[in-house]
Amino acid sequence: MTIELEELLDAAHKAFPPDKPVPRDESWARVVTLGWLMLDLPEDRGGLGLPPAAVATILFAQGRVLATAPLIPALLGLQAIAASPALVDRDGWIARICGGEYVPLHLLPSAVTARADGALDGRIAGVFEADMTSHILAGMAGRYALIPLDAAGVEVVERPLWDESRRLFDVVLTGYAIDPALVVAEGAAASALHETISPAAQLALAADSLGGASALLEMTVKYLKVRSQFARPLALFQALKHRCADLKVALSAAEALLWSRADSATTPLEMGAMKALATTTAKAIAEEAIQLHGGIGLTDEHPCHRYMKRAFLNAALCGDADHWNGANGRHLLDPPG
Amino acid sequence: MTARLDDLRAEVSGWLSAHVPRDWRAAATHEDFVAGQRAWFAQMVAAGYAIPHWPAQWPGGGRSLAEQKVIYEELARADAPRLLLSFVSTYHAFATLHECGTAEQQARHLPRILEGETWCQGFSEPNAGSDLAAIRTRADRQGEVYVVNGQKVWSTMAQHADRCLLLARTSSDGAKQAGMTYLLMDMKAPGVTVRPIHQIQGDEEFAEIFLDNVEIPVCERVGEEGAGWAVAQATLASERGLTLMELAYRMRGNMGRLVATIRAAGCAEDAGVQRELGELATQVDATCALADRFLEMRMAGAEQAGDASIVKNAYSRALRAWTDLGVRVGGIDAQYRAAITFGDLNTGNWMADFMNSYAWTIAGGSEEVQRTIIAERLLGMPREPKGWVL
Repeated sequence: MTIELEELLDAAHKAFPPDKPVPRDESWARVVTLGWLMLDLPEDRGGLGLPPAAVATILFAQGRVLATAPLIPALLGLQAIAASPALVDRDGWIARICGGEYVPLHLLPSAVTARADGALDGRIAGVFEADMTSHILAGMAGRYALIPLDAAGVEVVERPLWDESRRLFDVVLTGYAIDPALVVAEGAAASALHETISPAAQLALAADSLGGASALLEMTVKYLKVRSQFARPLALFQALKHRCADLKVALSAAEALLWSRADSATTPLEMGAMKALATTTAKAIAEEAIQLHGGIGLTDEHPCHRYMKRAFLNAALCGDADHWNGANGRHLLDPPG
Repeated sequence: MTARLDDLRAEVSGWLSAHVPRDWRAAATHEDFVAGQRAWFAQMVAAGYAIPHWPAQWPGGGRSLAEQKVIYEELARADAPRLLLSFVSTYHAFATLHECGTAEQQARHLPRILEGETWCQGFSEPNAGSDLAAIRTRADRQGEVYVVNGQKVWSTMAQHADRCLLLARTSSDGAKQAGMTYLLMDMKAPGVTVRPIHQIQGDEEFAEIFLDNVEIPVCERVGEEGAGWAVAQATLASERGLTLMELAYRMRGNMGRLVATIRAAGCAEDAGVQRELGELATQVDATCALADRFLEMRMAGAEQAGDASIVKNAYSRALRAWTDLGVRVGGIDAQYRAAITFGDLNTGNWMADFMNSYAWTIAGGSEEVQRTIIAERLLGMPREPKGWVL
């Protein structure tokens, strides 16, 4: 790890200490102040130009503390805007976002159709913390565009989640007409943009998931060491030790692939397959963590379930494990060319 | 540094493309395979790639761990035969002699290893498997020799070995780990009987060794009498994580065998099979990344006790999953007995591969022993209390 990255991580641990949940708006203010939105923004766009592994490191740390700031959708939205060939006042948008204006990319598919006159109907799913923003960035009907949430034909509907560390919304369009000044990419440029953003999205979700999983496994092992039954710590029972060891093996392998692909992977499939392993591993650790905690793991006051719910939601975002594993298998069975 | 590694990679890859015996998988018998192993080892020694981990005074020695990694990556990429027959001699025997042997012992044995003398390891016994400290084979000092009686088991290719790294008990007093002595035994000595173990897949990679009043000169003792346990740790620590990296790379390189089986079985369009293949391929990739990361940590001096156990269990589980999918997709075809390929874990002869995969969940410290090491050393969970009463 470079010194630069170590300093970043140190700042992350100070700003978001474990066991001290920071409310969302305060979290967001800290994220903006720390300059995390500029981590991987190219230097010629005013960012730090750090590699994907730097972003993943910060998101891993945020996952460990179940961070409430919507850093992932914000980073992806900014990345798309920074790469936009077409957006009017692109640099103005970048400056405003780096200054704290939240413009998220949605993390679930949209189902939108265009009328003959170009007006749009449908639903954009997976918009995080829409109550914080005036504009979202959406991919729909072959283009990426910014949508003002107060425009005619735009309605925001909250979709309550089991995961209470985040809030999720649908944006419903009814005859909404896209503002040409807000188009980010169209046609081939939109496809190219997708190829750029999709790996970043997979990497981000994988890092968040494995950060959470690593914190949860540590918490579980710690609990087994202090919880005593039959006049001995639970951590002395081989049946439980071996399960923890298996989880450690799975976590180590998933983490190794995360850092390896963070440095080297470029295609959506390479990152998507990695994300499938990361989220599957995080789900398995969450599932076991509750079981290993016993009754206390079923209580609302214990944080186990928060990690579990976040892990399961991450697994469902941006293509689930079945999707990516299937795509990876088809790629192996029928490689292009 | 990187440029030097790139040069080495090009050099090794070039040599391998000209020298890897194309037909090494064709060995019809174990004896043919062993003959091929001897020839390949001689070629590798001559080329300077067989003992990269030995000190620089040896031809081909003095390589950094990063350079060793490059050599093994290229061996895997070139699908070269693995150096199995010489593994114990170049790693275990070398490390033991290098760390704990006298100058005279080193001068006597190390040159012969390069000439092709092979070694086996006499550690495990019928009643001392995972619990190595429970060995009972006796070595009794009588003048200038130790007289050894007992039985060793699971000794890799002992039937072809010239010498043996023998752990025996010289005293039964004190803790189990005390009273052990480390001896270098001539496998041709009177009283040594070797019987190959017929494995479930039809191979004979291991043997039993029976010791009946075998005399071993005192000058072949490594370390002091009673210090055998500490010497044995040097033997066991000799493998530098390269084997698992190489094996993981070979599994990834042979993914095509699984793809071919799926196509041949007509289930390439089956969504369930596609998912399983995709998931497995990622598991294999993760195992490669883990083995790489472990070696990088070793190079950086950041290795923790228990890390090697994580890599071993990740590899052995991936290998089991790999073979299991092959058997399942192979269907009835996988149940028709086919001639085995010696010295290869990823052959596409699925039942044989499946059975072979147990070598990695049981041998070299079973999966269960590794789990205990991970839990206790890495996760800091308490050790089992010693002793038990019914």
